[in-house]
Amino acid sequence: MVDFSRSEGGDSQSGSTSHGDGDLLSIIQHAVHLLPSQGPISVFVHHNTLHAFQHLPFFTALRRGVEVYGCEPFLSEEAFHHKLADGRIRLEDIEQVLSEELGAHGEDKIAGLTTRFKLRLTMAKDPLYLGSGEELEWQIAETQILKKMRSEVSGATRKGMVESTRHWALRQRIPVETTISEEPSATGIDLAPFLQELSFGASESAMDRWTEHRWEEFCLTALWKVCVAGAKRNRRERTESARLMRPCDILKQVAGEDVDRLVNELLIPFTAAFLDQGLSQWSLPGRDLGFYEAFLLHASQTGFLAERWFHDGNVHVRRLQAENVSALDLIHELLPKLGIAPEETEEFLTQTLLSLRGWAGMIWQTETQASRIARPSPQGTLVGFLAVKLLLECHALTYVAKEAGVWTGSLADIRKLPASPQPLPYELTAMQCASVVFQMAQLLGWSPETLYHLPRRDWRALLAEIESFSNFERRRLLQLAYERRYRNQALDAFTAHARKPHVAATPVRAQVITCIDDREESLRRHIEEVAPDVETWGAPGFFSVAMYYKGVADALETPLCPGNVRPRHWVHEEVANGFESSDQLRRKARKVVGKLSRHLHLESRSMTRGAILATFLGPFASVPLISRILFPLQTARVSEVARKLMEVPSATQLRLERATPEPGNEPGQIGFSPQEMAGIIEKVLRDTGLTSNFASLVLLIGHGSSSQNNPHESAYNCGACAGSRGGPNARAFAQMANDPRIRKLLADQGIVIPESTWFVGGYHNTCNDEIEFFDVDKLSEPVRKSFFSLKEKLDEALAWNALERCRKFESAPLTLTPEEAIRQVKIRSEDLSQARPEFNHATNAICYVGRRERTRSLFLDRRAFLQSYDPEQDTPDASILLRVLQAATPVAAGISLEYYFSCVDPAGYGCGNKLPHNVVSLLGVMEGAQSDLRTGLSSQMVEIHEPIRILFVVETTPELMTSIMDRDTNIRELIQNEWVQLALLDPNSSQLHLYQAGAFVPYRPESSQLPVAGSSYEWFRGWRGDMGFASVLASEPKTFRKTSRSKEVF
Amino acid sequence: MLDLEFLSQVLAVTTVVTPLMLVGVLGIASLFSRRLSERVTSRLTQFVGATGIVASVVILVLMLITGSRHNHVTLGNWVILNDPSLHFHFTFKIIFDRLSVPFAILIFVLCEVIATFARHYLHRETGFHRFFLLFSIFQAGMILTAVAGTVEMLFAGWEMVGLSSALLVAYFQNRAAPVRNGLRVWIVYRFADAAFLLAAIMLHHLSGGGDFDVLTGVTNLQTWPEGVVEITETGTAILVGYLLLIAAAGKSALVPFSGWLPRAMEGPTPSSAIFYGALSVHLGAYLLLRVSPVLVVSPWLWGAVIALGLATAMFAAITARVQTDIKSALSFAALTQIGLIVTEIGLGAAIGGRIGQLIWYFALSHIIGHACLRTLQFIRAPSLLKDYGQLENATGSRLLHRPILFTSSLPGPLQVRLYRFALERGHLDTLLTRFFVTPFLKLFRGCDRIERAWANLLQGGVPDSPHHSEPSHQQSESRT
Repeated sequence: MVDFSRSEGGDSQSGSTSHGDGDLLSIIQHAVHLLPSQGPISVFVHHNTLHAFQHLPFFTALRRGVEVYGCEPFLSEEAFHHKLADGRIRLEDIEQVLSEELGAHGEDKIAGLTTRFKLRLTMAKDPLYLGSGEELEWQIAETQILKKMRSEVSGATRKGMVESTRHWALRQRIPVETTISEEPSATGIDLAPFLQELSFGASESAMDRWTEHRWEEFCLTALWKVCVAGAKRNRRERTESARLMRPCDILKQVAGEDVDRLVNELLIPFTAAFLDQGLSQWSLPGRDLGFYEAFLLHASQTGFLAERWFHDGNVHVRRLQAENVSALDLIHELLPKLGIAPEETEEFLTQTLLSLRGWAGMIWQTETQASRIARPSPQGTLVGFLAVKLLLECHALTYVAKEAGVWTGSLADIRKLPASPQPLPYELTAMQCASVVFQMAQLLGWSPETLYHLPRRDWRALLAEIESFSNFERRRLLQLAYERRYRNQALDAFTAHARKPHVAATPVRAQVITCIDDREESLRRHIEEVAPDVETWGAPGFFSVAMYYKGVADALETPLCPGNVRPRHWVHEEVANGFESSDQLRRKARKVVGKLSRHLHLESRSMTRGAILATFLGPFASVPLISRILFPLQTARVSEVARKLMEVPSATQLRLERATPEPGNEPGQIGFSPQEMAGIIEKVLRDTGLTSNFASLVLLIGHGSSSQNNPHESAYNCGACAGSRGGPNARAFAQMANDPRIRKLLADQGIVIPESTWFVGGYHNTCNDEIEFFDVDKLSEPVRKSFFSLKEKLDEALAWNALERCRKFESAPLTLTPEEAIRQVKIRSEDLSQARPEFNHATNAICYVGRRERTRSLFLDRRAFLQSYDPEQDTPDASILLRVLQAATPVAAGISLEYYFSCVDPAGYGCGNKLPHNVVSLLGVMEGAQSDLRTGLSSQMVEIHEPIRILFVVETTPELMTSIMDRDTNIRELIQNEWVQLALLDPNSSQLHLYQAGAFVPYRPESSQLPVAGSSYEWFRGWRGDMGFASVLASEPKTFRKTSRSKEVF
Repeated sequence: MLDLEFLSQVLAVTTVVTPLMLVGVLGIASLFSRRLSERVTSRLTQFVGATGIVASVVILVLMLITGSRHNHVTLGNWVILNDPSLHFHFTFKIIFDRLSVPFAILIFVLCEVIATFARHYLHRETGFHRFFLLFSIFQAGMILTAVAGTVEMLFAGWEMVGLSSALLVAYFQNRAAPVRNGLRVWIVYRFADAAFLLAAIMLHHLSGGGDFDVLTGVTNLQTWPEGVVEITETGTAILVGYLLLIAAAGKSALVPFSGWLPRAMEGPTPSSAIFYGALSVHLGAYLLLRVSPVLVVSPWLWGAVIALGLATAMFAAITARVQTDIKSALSFAALTQIGLIVTEIGLGAAIGGRIGQLIWYFALSHIIGHACLRTLQFIRAPSLLKDYGQLENATGSRLLHRPILFTSSLPGPLQVRLYRFALERGHLDTLLTRFFVTPFLKLFRGCDRIERAWANLLQGGVPDSPHHSEPSHQQSESRT
């Protein structure tokens, strides 16, 4: 069909303009930064979706996101207006934000009609109807927009406008010899025939009889026509978009044929087969050769049966094989064929990769993160992928252009086909400009006559002003107002609450240390409410125990630490002495059952054995089918019992201590040295400030989540454990802290843990709200007793926690009791058909770093990460705060930003609706039968989220914070570029400082009122929507007795 | 005894009428934009499913008690043409026999399970009501097909199933791929339906009516599968058989129509499960079972059935092994079994007699077992990662590809060829496009041109038709 043989001399000799191999590689490397950096879905690490632009200010990055990915930067204007109507944004927030933004420029007159402030405020607060051309035509023809003024227009304005227009029209009916020569209107309208036409040539007497409504219609029609004429005549011409169009884009427009789709139908299955981690039973032959070579091997075999457009592909491919053309050579060869000039190469290759960015990103992950992937890809896979994609594109383009009859010449000239480039996002057409002026005229009371007489200069100024306050800018303003509203509420609450410090109970019954996770906020609050003599603390949920962990029943080691940390230590769980033989039996049983179910799994998909299985065992599948769906909880209990028979004996222990000097994965090297252990304990205790006044019980609670039929299950686990479950970390920590030798080492460092104090590790399942404790049998008798009485309290708190969670599930009634709530969340965790097992981090909005006393008994609605930190125990240069923030900031900001982006554009930044998801290659999900690999969060996960940038509230002084920002670039980048908001709580007073435009300014509270509620339940009951802040009395040891409430509801 | 018979007749009507009423209620509510709440919609659907289960199980029990093997309810003759040259009549007839009762129970049980599943799964979806409306149409269509006593009723049910399937594939209508794939499914279905319709007409010519009992020689003494066909016009019977085979092949995604099956995985998981794992994909096989006594008529007929079944089974078995996404892997696994079921039906016809009938029974139980198994696997498809993790832990090592004996013993190039054949799903779609769709379009575009030329000659200046002027098939596809 097309000559793909190597052109003589041509491209390779034009050396000065074409790129060398190194150049091309660095171009590809550069483009790779824009690809999603999500790894395999079974290890889900939350991170900033726009990480590639983190060096830019937040709003600039959003704009880049629009340009590069074509994704939405904010919620829709409609959504913001709903929030305005609901009171989530107040008018005064918009006014405040706007006046801060505009400063003195706000009072500038625009076209002599209004001020900039007023114009922008009106454009932002009232919905603007801006349809496309056809939509606008339809609105004019079919709706009331030219008959009735917008409903927001006040009666007086309406009356004034109609009256003046009437006056104007009637006046013009009587021609006079004027003494002043009137300047022609900037709208280009000739007045007399214009008015004549508008009134349909009605006579004076007829017009006299016109009703008010008729005059209103007249006024609006005149206004509309004046606006259209004015906008068309005076709008400055748009600059053309410079965005490069790939040949595929051009052909899509010209021929209506999606070349990418044709290419993807071959490329996606091949890529999936190449990356497959073990889903298919027959691995890609020739995979070891590498992506590009394997593709050549396969494509060279194609012939008669191939897709029409790749019909002659095998000839081309055989030539490539014969001439030993490498992937990079092929890219070099194809670029000029596609008509890509050397200076366009980067843009073109970037767009080519981005057009299938999920898969391209995953290839890069499997290539570069080899240690975290079972079957990594060899180096150069992405380059091979790019070469293959371009090769396929060339063939498909040639075929489609010819078939559609739009082009038969050389491939390079497809780019010369007449195609209109994509309009820049948020540019207005002339008609849309007219529509804005039309609406503003009504809302601000500009009569048609005023606009008719408006000089050309003013028209231009008005239109320029309107265009500069684009959809992006309006939404940016609304976003700022939205954030301001919540921030002020939060800061008011913090100020008011900080004024009445908490008085600690003495003696303290227990201390509970949980993860900083926002989901533990409510659990901590309920623990404090049911047991006011318990203190709670927060630390990142891996508790500084960074390790590769292998449980007794695990096949593989899991890294349990934040995603950016590479563990140096290994820890294994072992069966306790005396249980080995029973463990061997159980292990065998597990193995047999595992192998059996694997065979069932595979053979049900084969032919003959599948037939036997289906016919004879198939009917029995109806038993689990029916029971799992109709009775999920009971089924789970039954299978739990069955599993117990083979489960690991509960008597296990961690191999924590090593003998050799160097850590490693060999038998002697497993574990930590005592010094390392003491270091870990000291770090957590110093970070949180729990260095004295130890209670007799200190509980550490890691967390994770379990749900069914959920490919994103890992995303619900602990963020500080890189999407794994943090139970073993808590257990390891407790075991270390209970070791007398470690305590001795700690005492040398000045932290004295009394002998009577016991640490117990636990694991909180945030989906079904159960806590499992480890090594309870090792507790000595008196401690044991107080532990179990405390555990009762914890169970009570868990039930309240479940109830608080349930209020956000639409399918759970608001009238649940705590017991019913526990049942409800347990079902959710076991139900195959549940698309929302829990809401994960949705609604996260605050990250508080400081003493718990200052937030204890403050109702934070599960929206706050809580890191314990005591400024009074810090070194003068805040070195503790520095390391605390170094750990907490990336986790909290990553989660917050991932939620932000997936929420504002679930289909673009997120992975869309989870219902059609289809697990592919054991690496990720596609939508339906075949699609790009989808990264990010699903719309079910973010549907109740409020996308605002997380507000850090840190208990420190501006000076220390500034010095920390100077010392850590990552923290500085996030704060200075405004990816997170920052406020500082003064350690000695209730004064807050807000970080604004590069400086800390004292915050003046809007209100000093903070509602008071007896208990959390009293506050949140009966309400699904978001809850304001409140002071909860129950957790104050002296003011309230808990038991009364418990009895009443339990 | 009479009372029992009356009872079973009432129940038989109930099984058909309640699903139709559900379609009416949900449909009318949607038609007048009266949104029923999620709760009401799902409860109604579950109620109808439960009613169906109870009714069909009671029918089964009554049949066992009374020893009746063939229970039919005739709802009147609606058209009778007595003219001997036309001798046409059209009856509403419901048959409950050893074929339809198990199938009806299967349909109701699976529909009930899936309705319960979808109630949570589609919670808060904007298309919740649309899903349940289409689902109710599907359920009514399935049950109508299962108990149809005449080819017309079967066709009506068949069409309802086809329509709702195609629309559910296109459930996520705001994305392009589901709509395109939904259309593809619809086109294959239409083709199969055309064959079915032709078969129905020929059947009328052959036996004067669309009644299956007449066609398949079923009397009160000889019920399915013991009917003996007494047809004098063997040639016509073979033609009818072939047409029905085409209809079955389209519906059950047999070769060469298999390309649509993986493409149908665009809808939400419960619909994939019940349509393509369990029920509608077995409908072709069910049709063949229903007319199985006809297949005995000629070796050409049963030979074709066996060949098609085996070809499908082998094709799907190879293809299933290379699929890298779970839904495609399951759909080809399902297809393998359907191919085998069709082969069994053909074998039953080939062997004939008692043994042949036993094979047909086996095919029926194969359908039932397979439907249950596959539904479970489909709705658990998103659990794949968790299952793999648990299996890895249980076996204590990573799960890697298992080499398959026969492919790894093939010489290299052949291995690559076979793999590519499987990865590109046998190129069946390409083949259909090349040898069927393109010539078809060419032919009709040619006709269009001729007609246009004529019209031009006669009246002058006929504008180009906007729809028929595209030069390629793909364009007409993308236009939708």
